[in-house]
Amino acid sequence: MTDLQYRIRDYRQRTAPGAIAIHVLGAALFVAAAGLFWRGSGLFGVPLLGMVGLTAVGWRTHQGETARGLTLLAAALTVSVMLLIVGYLLVHARDAFEHMGVELLWMLEGPFWEPPSPEGNYSLTPLLVGTALTTVIATMVAAPIGIAGAVFLSEMAPERVRVVVKPGVELLAGIPSITYGFVGLVLVNQYFYAQFQTPTIASYFAAGLMIGLMSLPTVVSVAEDALSAVPESMKSGSLAMGSTEWQTTKSVTIPAAFSGVSAAVMLGVGRAMGETMAATVMLSHSKGIPVPFFDVFSRYGETLTTVIAQEAPNATGGMHESALFAAGVVLFVSVMSLSIGAQYVEWRMYRKLGGES
Amino acid sequence: MSEANTTQTEDASQRTTDDAGGAIGGSAGRTTTGESEERIEDHWRNYEFAGEPKLSVEDLDVYYGEEQALQSVSMEIPEESVTALIGPSGCGKSTYLRCLNRMNDRIKSARVDGSVQLEGEELYQDGVDLVELRRRIGMVFQSPNPFPKSIRDNVSYGPRKHGDISTGLLPKLLGRDDTEQREELVERCLRQAALWEEVQDRLDDNALGLSGGQQQRLCIARCLAVDPDVILMDEPASALDPIATAKIEDLIEELAEEYTVVVVTHNMQQAARISDQTAVFLTGGELVEYGETDQVFEDPESQRVEDYISGKFG
Amino acid sequence: MSTIDDTGVVAGVARLRNATTLPTMALSLLTVLMGWLVLFQQVGETNEYLGLPIVELFAISVLVQGLAIGGLGVASYVGALQSTSDRTAGLFTGAFVGSLWAVVTAVLVTVVAGLRMVYWPGSSVWIFSGIPVPLGILLSLLGGVVGFLAVVLPREDLGATLPVSALLVPLGMFALVGPLTVPWTYEPGWTTVVFPGSEVLPFAFFVTSLLGCWTLAKISEGFGATGRQRGAYYLIGVSVAATLGVLGMLVYFIVDKGFATLSTGASFDGWGGRLVLPVVDWAVPWFDANLPFVFNQPGGLFVDVPGVWPAILGTIWLVIGALVVAVPLGIGAAIFLTEYVERGRITQLVEVVTNGLWSTPSIVFGLFGMAFLMPRLSNGGRSMIVAQLVLGFMLLPLVLITSREAIISVPDEYRDASAALGVSRWKTVRSVVLPAAMPGVITGVILGVGRIAGETAPLLLVFGGQPYPSTKSPVSGGKGILESFSFSLQPPFITNSALTERGTALPFQLYTSITAGSSPKPEVFSLSEFGWGTALVLLLVVMGFFAIGVASRLYFRRKLNYE
Ligand SMILES: Nc1ncnc2c1ncn2[C@@H]1O[C@H](COP(=O)(O)OP(=O)(O)OP(=O)(O)O)[C@@H](O)[C@H]1O
Ligand SMILES: [Mg+2]
Repeated sequence: MTDLQYRIRDYRQRTAPGAIAIHVLGAALFVAAAGLFWRGSGLFGVPLLGMVGLTAVGWRTHQGETARGLTLLAAALTVSVMLLIVGYLLVHARDAFEHMGVELLWMLEGPFWEPPSPEGNYSLTPLLVGTALTTVIATMVAAPIGIAGAVFLSEMAPERVRVVVKPGVELLAGIPSITYGFVGLVLVNQYFYAQFQTPTIASYFAAGLMIGLMSLPTVVSVAEDALSAVPESMKSGSLAMGSTEWQTTKSVTIPAAFSGVSAAVMLGVGRAMGETMAATVMLSHSKGIPVPFFDVFSRYGETLTTVIAQEAPNATGGMHESALFAAGVVLFVSVMSLSIGAQYVEWRMYRKLGGES
Repeated sequence: MSEANTTQTEDASQRTTDDAGGAIGGSAGRTTTGESEERIEDHWRNYEFAGEPKLSVEDLDVYYGEEQALQSVSMEIPEESVTALIGPSGCGKSTYLRCLNRMNDRIKSARVDGSVQLEGEELYQDGVDLVELRRRIGMVFQSPNPFPKSIRDNVSYGPRKHGDISTGLLPKLLGRDDTEQREELVERCLRQAALWEEVQDRLDDNALGLSGGQQQRLCIARCLAVDPDVILMDEPASALDPIATAKIEDLIEELAEEYTVVVVTHNMQQAARISDQTAVFLTGGELVEYGETDQVFEDPESQRVEDYISGKFG
Repeated sequence: MSTIDDTGVVAGVARLRNATTLPTMALSLLTVLMGWLVLFQQVGETNEYLGLPIVELFAISVLVQGLAIGGLGVASYVGALQSTSDRTAGLFTGAFVGSLWAVVTAVLVTVVAGLRMVYWPGSSVWIFSGIPVPLGILLSLLGGVVGFLAVVLPREDLGATLPVSALLVPLGMFALVGPLTVPWTYEPGWTTVVFPGSEVLPFAFFVTSLLGCWTLAKISEGFGATGRQRGAYYLIGVSVAATLGVLGMLVYFIVDKGFATLSTGASFDGWGGRLVLPVVDWAVPWFDANLPFVFNQPGGLFVDVPGVWPAILGTIWLVIGALVVAVPLGIGAAIFLTEYVERGRITQLVEVVTNGLWSTPSIVFGLFGMAFLMPRLSNGGRSMIVAQLVLGFMLLPLVLITSREAIISVPDEYRDASAALGVSRWKTVRSVVLPAAMPGVITGVILGVGRIAGETAPLLLVFGGQPYPSTKSPVSGGKGILESFSFSLQPPFITNSALTERGTALPFQLYTSITAGSSPKPEVFSLSEFGWGTALVLLLVVMGFFAIGVASRLYFRRKLNYE
């Protein structure tokens, strides 16, 4: 606490009284606006307008301090958006967790999903299976080919090819997922239905392929960045000892960039897992666990994301909606852990390459 | 040196420094003519020795984009000896060294004209096996560049890549495990590079955790492990304390009994101590004097070399 | 010293090796290409070339490759072919070829012996004194292990070739003389799906020829380290090219099919027309062109060609709203975190939070908007303003991350120089740091806009209105957004009734054209035609943003490099 007291004293010594007044008043107005907004009152505009006025005054009298206060406000808002998202998901998902208990996540016999009944079953197990299947298939497409593509771009391709393909891959990474979904629905689903006689026109396999194809450019792009960050001196060192370029790539470059490359893969997996539109459009939305569970051509098709996209617009509150929020929570937690994992390995890579050399 | 002496040579040094600025600034044309005029004024000595040269370089020009880094360098390097390359910073010593094992191929803007021959075989021609070439001409770089692997793996990297040593699960399964040879090799090379004492207990640690000087010696050990014919060293002792430097100098002299060693150094006493012959490059990428070390240091032909050696510029 | 001294550094030309491997490699590359084309339906599987059905040509090619590979491997082993073979072909080759062996064994076991692969209730297992044994799995694992050992144990020239040859030759033979023909089908047993020969065979030929090409590339360099390098380059190069081809084809489909829709009813009469710019309502000189699919509304009685104009407007308004939310917040927070706070635990925490926010699935943002923002801003209904906020929140982390990177990369000397002149911190930031960081920020923002412009999932939850609106307004009820601002002296002083309406945007329009079940005007466009057109317009808009972003990044990087 002494640290805080010290800081406050420091702040008061360094800041002009007028600026302090502006800071305090601004903070008070902001708290008022936030409070009113929270309670759903339309009056939150009043303190907000007050803040605008105050900023105008502050800008003329104490520009530096006002700017500092505003940037602090921006940072605080950014963090609070995150907290709000987490908080709201959890609050709304609570009912479902209480209602279903462990069966929310682990339930092997149907019925799994009985909307809109408030008493019925709402189990995420089939959706978890669906998410797992599509994610695994997508990863099997995106990870090996993504890494191969990155290696190709950074280590093998001649400069002329590289300058064209690298931005091209980044462009591809930007194609909206609904576009992939549309193409998947019209062409890929049709293809599997006609040629392989899938039970319904939709299948996890087709959706997984499409999602994999979709996350591929992201994996290539991020992994390529990691590979080209390996210092040239390291590669030269290996080549100068009479090893081939491929040996250098395999034994020096990829291991040195390993963290970055695996972060790229994790990012790709995260995107595949959170992917909504391509899956929503391409899956059948019938919930169940395939037998055997890895039958990726079964008639079932629903994931954590698709159930939200499909049902949330029409859910009428209550247990059904709460179950959808629970799906959101599970999704959020999985993707967040992947993201933090990826950041951790990237941080390690930074340390490793930055270390001493 | 005396006060008067300094003032006397100031003009000359001033002029050369200007030229250096020109070369770095990119006006290669002007520099070229200026320097070659000077060369005619200067006495130019080339080293002549009996026997076949190990490496012979003829009319070597190197350009980085528009900028010329080496100007028609010719020099023959005898076998089983130490050749020192000295000269002011930026004069092209590293560039020259990189030409000898074609590491300049890695630099996109670099262009090499002229001829380099290893035992009479032209290195700049089609069909040269770069892998084989670099296996025979090893290199220690100016700044240490260990791999982000364990110390042991760093040293045994070359032999493993060449298939001379195989360790690990698969060879073990096949019953051809070379772990013992590897351990011997690692110890021998690290001892030669005067590093064994410091790292023998932590061979499994990441090499990037070593100090700069230790990394430098590790790179020397790594190079020795490949057992090349020619060893190119770019300031191998630049990051070392006097004791380690002495050890490396001993090593270089020892190596010269078996290998052909080419060493770049900024330390003239060192060059004088260890080398059999010395080549002096001066700013602009010109080889100004090449001869027996004693002669170069005691009685240089060229005034500029004398100035450089006596520390008046450069 | 070693024996190396005896050999020169100039590699001899191995004429025999080249003469045998190069034509075979060309053959396998051609087979890979044709297999790919058949697999992606660009070439019919019953086409005939040189008087033979394509499947038979494939079979012959694979047979030839298999024989050549086996023969060359043996030739190298007995010394008839110049090579520098290693002691073993290595783990990776072993795993790769071994897993193919496992797959082949699995197929054989199910087809020939009728065993089920999987131990699963209802499937047949072999009961051995009361213990169920999944025989199928065991056998195929065994096949894999045998394949692996066959690669790994012998010297490289045998290990890398014969096990591959053992895959290629039988495939070629059975495809040539039966039973592996186009009408042949494979029923794996764990699924109801039937794998038809017409699809499985081209895939098998594609994979095996890739394998063949890889092996031949190794042989062509005489095995050893260089051989492996050549092999790896071919393997990676060909697979990357094949994948890029798939992605390219995807884009081509959209452009090709979408263009037909886009150009329906279009006409072009040179310059002299006027275009009324959306949002600001300025008329600027423009082509005298007529592009009804772009400029019409999708619904309504009097529309001859339905179009996506409201959706385009909706996307523009969403992007504007998101920018208004995200850019000041993101840049402000970035300035605070870089200029006013010491690097430490707080900045690290915020970094983790923003990275997490950036990877949070968009649908989760949608849920948040639905639960938190909708009740507070539009009485619980879906609306433009909520969608703008949600997309803004999605954009926020990217703006923050890129701005922070850009600000950090401004050299400290600038700040020091400015501070040394006695300039205050904020003035330094405003006049030195921000201008230097601007290029990076702008690029990041443009790339982010490309991303959110194509975002669909949250729109379903917080924005989506009628599938085919019959006015040109992006929101329901036909109100214009700018006209709908009204001011009053009562709080909340400013209201905009249009912003609280639900509406449409390009990605949402594409979604509705998939789910609506019927086209807005079936006599003009079928449902999928309308969809292809919308997809193309969406792609153009998003790619436009991305192209500008990527180009500006390249531009700024170049500029930096030359300074
Ligand atoms: N990769 C490169 N691209 C462009 N120019 C280069 C490159 N490497 C070196 N140069 C230029 O070539 C000239 C010679 O450089 P070189 O590294 O050979 O000098 P050096 O004699 O080794 O200097 P030092 O003693 O400082 O190591 C310098 O002017 C340098 O700027
Ligand atoms: Mg140097």
